[in-house]
Amino acid sequence: MRRIDSPARVWGHYASLIILAIICLTPIWVMVSTSFKNEVVIFDAKPVWFFFFPTMENYDYILTRGKFDRYFVNSVIVATVSTFLTLFLGGLCAYALARLEFKGRRFVANSTLLVRMVPPAVLAVPAFAMVVTLNLNADLVVLIFFYTALNLPFAIWLLFGFYKQIPVELEEAAIVDGASPLQVFFQVLFPMMKSGYAVAGIFTFRIAWNEFILALLLTGRNSRTLPVGAAGFITDTGVEWGRIMAMGTLIVIPPLLFTFFAARQIISGLTAGSVKG
Amino acid sequence: MSGVVLRDVVKAYGDVVIIPKLDLEIYEGEFVVIVGPSGCGKSTTLRMIAGLEMVTSGEISIAGKDVTYAQPKARDIAMVFQSYALYPHMDVAGNMSFALRLARVPKAEIAERVQRAAEMLELTPYLDRKPKDLSGGQRQRVAMGRSIVRDAYCFLFDEPLSNLDAKLRATMRTELAILHKKLERTMVYVTHDQIEAMTMADRIVIMKDGVIQQIGSPREVYTAPENLFVAGFIGSPSMNLMDAELTRNNGALYVKGQGFELPVPGRLQERADTAKKSNIVLGLRPEHFSAADRGNGAFAPIELAVDVAEYIGSSQFIAASVGGKNLTAAVEVGPDAAPMESGTYYFDTERLYLFDRESGQAL
Ligand SMILES: Nc1ncnc2c1ncn2[C@@H]1O[C@H](COP(=O)(O)OP(=O)(O)OP(=O)(O)O)[C@@H](O)[C@H]1O
Ligand SMILES: [Mg+2]
Repeated sequence: MRRIDSPARVWGHYASLIILAIICLTPIWVMVSTSFKNEVVIFDAKPVWFFFFPTMENYDYILTRGKFDRYFVNSVIVATVSTFLTLFLGGLCAYALARLEFKGRRFVANSTLLVRMVPPAVLAVPAFAMVVTLNLNADLVVLIFFYTALNLPFAIWLLFGFYKQIPVELEEAAIVDGASPLQVFFQVLFPMMKSGYAVAGIFTFRIAWNEFILALLLTGRNSRTLPVGAAGFITDTGVEWGRIMAMGTLIVIPPLLFTFFAARQIISGLTAGSVKG
Repeated sequence: MSGVVLRDVVKAYGDVVIIPKLDLEIYEGEFVVIVGPSGCGKSTTLRMIAGLEMVTSGEISIAGKDVTYAQPKARDIAMVFQSYALYPHMDVAGNMSFALRLARVPKAEIAERVQRAAEMLELTPYLDRKPKDLSGGQRQRVAMGRSIVRDAYCFLFDEPLSNLDAKLRATMRTELAILHKKLERTMVYVTHDQIEAMTMADRIVIMKDGVIQQIGSPREVYTAPENLFVAGFIGSPSMNLMDAELTRNNGALYVKGQGFELPVPGRLQERADTAKKSNIVLGLRPEHFSAADRGNGAFAPIELAVDVAEYIGSSQFIAASVGGKNLTAAVEVGPDAAPMESGTYYFDTERLYLFDRESGQAL
């Protein structure tokens, strides 16, 4: 039964939500507003929160003078390809873990997530050593490879949970109805797995898009991604806050759009009504 | 050999043997009903026929082809799952037409077949609903519809009517029987429901612990149960089984126990003569009791101490005891009769059954 809350409770809820929203949105506002300020305003002794004369000079600079377009393309390639690879491979692994019987299945299913607990920073040096030892060129493929490896455990763990929720009889019914394995996957499983893939995709894309340390170590002049590019404005002569924040603002937009579209695939209770009980 | 044939089929999960050895021959076009208590391996048997479960050993052939190792797709079967297994993201029409769409049946024909099945199953108003917006009984009918739109060689039904109310179930039973007559397809049907089994089956297969107890027409399994299990399982209310012994009195053979002594009918005398006299189980079907002596010589008196009489229209179910043992009788007394009381009742001895207690086999 749904409880009807007293007005005091409702206002309490709103108040706490507003406080949380302020905590979350303040840094974003600082970033966005700073990106529209010139150096004089930024370094004003008294921080200016709202009323300043906006300028486009930071955007103008990063979009025309820097290599923003190249970094952007790099980031898009790295993030989308590694997200796609992660979802594809992770989906296969998760399916195998959820459905097939083989030695060590339980161990693998229960321990994949542990791998995810290792922070990327710890992996930076070994990763760098690997790349050097194997004499791999500093290019996007290496980064894609590492991001995929980094994201797979979480994706597998997440999709595993989703696959386990789908009753086996659904697949059996499709098989009896004459579906080939691919048809079973694309016409029966995938539509029910959309939520799972969307969630896994959002996480994977966001991490691949934002990751900094590995990208810094493993990319060269032409293969830099946006976060590494942004860091380039930390120079010997000082930190160019306006430009960093302008870049940051632009960096935020693609994952925001991606999340927005992916989240529309998330529907709960997709298997409701399919089996008895 | 056409039809569906299971030969020496064994099914085990690891060390647990579910089906020790199963031989079953289902003729082409036959309607076979498998009944048995929960957990006896009915679903497992169907799933092996469908190819969803691999046999541990043995052979299965369908339509004369050995399909023991064939994929479900290659077996030309349609199946209704005990758990429905509806596609939750497709509406009712989508669920029913899925197999046809995969088989690339022309659109117009798909629409027509779905329409026809929906009418038969009273699902027409729900064709564009998703399974989650249907009641349990409606879902079950969708599961049914999904198989009957198809044109398979063999239809497998795993308790397809279990969730329907009594009236709808009766309608569906009739519809299925009509459908079977029309399609003349082989159908294997699993149920708990006596009446479904008796009314629809060409032959009934009674299973217990993975072993077939008897195969026969409804009439055969009802009138000539081969063992105690079948005797107790078929018939509703179920047969009264009472310990007894055979005695001879003035040259005539009697079956005697606590509180009763009934003459052994002619058809059983020869076998009763050679049986172990002291170790007998007497079987009396409730419906063969009567309140009055019908006077054809076959009716013998028996004293019943009535505990309660249940009114069910023109008959009454009587819970009674004989010699301290519980017994059920169903007597036809007309709708206006007063509740039945203790006294002398009559049993049609032509219809009594004798079993060897040790082996459980019928005499
Ligand atoms: N995967 C499995 N592993 C081990 N035992 C199993 C497995 N599947 C089924 N069984 C066992 O096999 C036996 C037969 O199961 P089955 O589902 O065929 O019974 P059923 O006759 O259909 O029962 P019900 O009428 O309850 O549906 C049961 O005792 C069950 O516990
Ligand atoms: Mg079952």
